[in-house]
Amino acid sequence: MNAIIFSAGWGIIMMFCSFLVKNQSSYRHIAAVGLLVLLAANIFDTYGVDFFHIDSGKMLAYTRFGFVFNSIAIASTLIYVLLTGRDIERLGRYTAEFFTLVFFVLCGVCLLSAYNNLLMLFLGIEILTIPLYILTGSDKRNLKSNEAALKYFLMGSFSTGLMLMGIALMYGGTGTFLLESSRLQSNLYHGISFLEIVGLLFLLASMCFKVSAAPFHFWTPDVYDGAPSVVTSFMATIVKVAGFIAFLKLCTVRMSVTSTAIDWKLIFSIIIILTLLFGNITAIFQQSVKRMLAYSSISQAGFMLFALFSMNEYASKGLLMYSVAYCLATIGLFAVLVKMKDVTFEGYNGLAKTQPVLAATNAIFLFSLAGIPLTAGFLAKYYMLASIIKTGTYTWVVVAGVLFAAISVYYYFRVIQAMYFKNGEPQMESFGRSFKLGLVVLAAIIIIVGAFPQALFNWLYF
Amino acid sequence: MNSFVYLLDTVVTGNSADYVPIGIQIIFAAGFVATVMIATHLLGPKRKTAEKLENFASGIESHGNARQPLAIKYFLVAILFVLFDVEVIFFYPYAVNFKSLGWYGFIEVLLFVCFFLTGFIYIIKKGALKWED
Amino acid sequence: MPIQYYIILAAALFCIGVTGVLIRRNAIIIFMCVELMLNSVNLLLVAFSKMHYAISSANNKGTAAITTGTDAQLFVFFIMVVAAAEVSVGLAIIVMMYRNVHSTDVNFLNRLKN
Repeated sequence: MNAIIFSAGWGIIMMFCSFLVKNQSSYRHIAAVGLLVLLAANIFDTYGVDFFHIDSGKMLAYTRFGFVFNSIAIASTLIYVLLTGRDIERLGRYTAEFFTLVFFVLCGVCLLSAYNNLLMLFLGIEILTIPLYILTGSDKRNLKSNEAALKYFLMGSFSTGLMLMGIALMYGGTGTFLLESSRLQSNLYHGISFLEIVGLLFLLASMCFKVSAAPFHFWTPDVYDGAPSVVTSFMATIVKVAGFIAFLKLCTVRMSVTSTAIDWKLIFSIIIILTLLFGNITAIFQQSVKRMLAYSSISQAGFMLFALFSMNEYASKGLLMYSVAYCLATIGLFAVLVKMKDVTFEGYNGLAKTQPVLAATNAIFLFSLAGIPLTAGFLAKYYMLASIIKTGTYTWVVVAGVLFAAISVYYYFRVIQAMYFKNGEPQMESFGRSFKLGLVVLAAIIIIVGAFPQALFNWLYF
Repeated sequence: MNSFVYLLDTVVTGNSADYVPIGIQIIFAAGFVATVMIATHLLGPKRKTAEKLENFASGIESHGNARQPLAIKYFLVAILFVLFDVEVIFFYPYAVNFKSLGWYGFIEVLLFVCFFLTGFIYIIKKGALKWED
Repeated sequence: MPIQYYIILAAALFCIGVTGVLIRRNAIIIFMCVELMLNSVNLLLVAFSKMHYAISSANNKGTAAITTGTDAQLFVFFIMVVAAAEVSVGLAIIVMMYRNVHSTDVNFLNRLKN
């Protein structure tokens, strides 16, 4: 509860700062302080210190997994604000409102990690996406940004409609919105009703929309490409992973109950293969690094879907690991990308000569995304593949996953090739020494988590 | 759900005679509109002048094209109206349970109104409701 | 009236909405179709709410808890409010788009295809 209330409250504080505080550059510091407070409040909550005793009537259920994920999301946002705060200020006059919306999105993330009622799932998803529509269109004069916002909005509200239909049908079938359904105790609604299955299929489609899994991924490249780079960085990482956390909970509770009636594993394996195929094959042909990262986010979503397929302990651990590896690496890559004047592969030519620190940290981020050993990304992929092997069925999905991971190395290494083995003069915005330091710390975290995964997992138990 | 579940407490006979009043009403409504329209056409005198053919706008002379661009503040006020208008919906369940919720419910609603008010103060401070430039 | 009628009506409205979203080219009309989808869900939820009340009272010899099914009616309120929030954001985006391209046709949305 702490994190939910603090994030909403600090969002309102930021909102009022927009006319109470005149100094543009202080917003970023206020936001950073707010995120630190939020992180502290969430850690207090993890160890049982709840500042607000609010009876949510079983609508919210707190788990250690959810708290740890909240902490990861808040910490990633903190790193994001520290690294790209200056670039957010360049976006326009409404810096304080930008941070307000970031806090509101975090409120949605915290709801999604703790929901136990389909109403809360719906509200969480909406609190998450409505600020994002605004953030996507925040570059008002830029036609590409406008277009991305309109596209995202139309697609997003359509998928919300699908989700609501699914929830309504599930309610018709079971008579409750609670996730951990009470119908097992009551003898009224024994058995699985047809309505519930149809409702779950609707929900599956809309959640695939939200996390951009094939065949509902078509909006992703356009929106990620059109949105301002600082927004894409946030949208492709924290928000997407939060969607997966919500999806995992839905799967483990409701879909596992109905698995006798419908073969979810088959459906998920098809979605995984399609997502990996579309994401990887189209990423190869991109000329712009930003668009390549958009497609690569689809293919990474394919790997995160493995967790929904297997739904065991390895899966939840793997998803946690993936959220760390994927969020941090992508935030780092985008932090460098927004400093570049030219975001095509040619723009990166010769970066290693002029900016060796940036090139080296970028290389580590790319290694992590590609899943090279000793980085967090490797362990994340390892856990995902292991989780499927544990289930003992559909081993061909594992083979396909390894194959596509090998393909992904090609387009990630194109950036490294451009940075190290080509000559050129990359044009960049100015940046300070603290920016470099931030990138080095980020790269260090990725390697430390990759080398000592227990540092992360111990948090789940102690 | 094999058993038929009836939602309204009326006795349902399944007899098509139940729909006769509705049919009569539809026929009457359509007939009334048709009669009045035909009657006015036949009875009314027709004197067409340029002034009479003008659009009637509460006696104010209309000028220009209706599709000219409007100032953005109209949209802004309309959008804000939609937001604040619909939020009032939460007062309905409160009004129904006004007595049983007691002071606890009153404080909750007060909190809700406070959140509302913060939003309202924000839009006023931002000058969203300022009409004169 | 049997519950099936309500389900069929809601499904029909929902399908009209989905079809409209898929085939219309005007952003405002697409948006209206989305609203139609949401409202069909509202209708369905209220119908299910009454249905569960009826089932519960039939199973308990005519006496069901008075709160049975009210959660769905509350859900409807939330859908309405969230839809209003979406409307305000969506209309703002459409107005912003219109100011830049002087059209609400979604066929203009092709700058990102490259």
